[in-house]
Amino acid sequence: MTQPAAASAPVEAEITVSETVTFPNGIPGFESCRRWVVLAAEGHTPLRRLHAVDGAEASFLALDPRQVLEGYRCELSDADRARIGATDTKTPLLWLALVNVEASGAVSINLRAPIVINPKTMMGQQVLPHDCLYPLRHVLAEAEAEDQ
Amino acid sequence: MLVFTRRRDEAIMIGDGIEVRVLRVGRDGVRLGIVAPPEVRVHRREIYDQIRAANQSALVKPDKLESVAARLKKAQ
Repeated sequence: MTQPAAASAPVEAEITVSETVTFPNGIPGFESCRRWVVLAAEGHTPLRRLHAVDGAEASFLALDPRQVLEGYRCELSDADRARIGATDTKTPLLWLALVNVEASGAVSINLRAPIVINPKTMMGQQVLPHDCLYPLRHVLAEAEAEDQ
Repeated sequence: MLVFTRRRDEAIMIGDGIEVRVLRVGRDGVRLGIVAPPEVRVHRREIYDQIRAANQSALVKPDKLESVAARLKKAQ
């Protein structure tokens, strides 16, 4: 497949299919989406976009959780590391937490279950830690006041 | 759905590599031990459901980018 599945998405000059990240299990709710691209949201760094190139049509906004919360830490289990081919603990990994634009207008971010990508193998997964103190919904911007 | 009756310390096998063992039976809870290969992820169902719901509500249309970026900039 050489075309992004999401034909309705605006043309993204920076999409290169050779740089798709493989999520062997998809992510929860999007199990059929095995291949994704991570795009810089041009002009809006550090925001990134995570876009499915197969399976269901899916597009997310994401931020590195370490930029959202100073000292953010997420321990990967050996099994988590093995799944993305990052058995060497020194391998630098790309961390992404999904941004949620809620119906109320509030913008929150999921710090509980981050996505982690190994750039060396281009394998990714969403980590579901058993004991994680970070919230599923960490508010970045409150709902807009009516006069705005 | 397959249904088994198991007593304490008895187990079932799923495929070749997954074992589910009954460790303790209480009045309204059962403690299970699970052995599975590393590529098989094991989660409490409700945790998985929570993450799935969070993912589904985080879906965005590509045209939302501008407004979200503006909101975040303002919130900083």
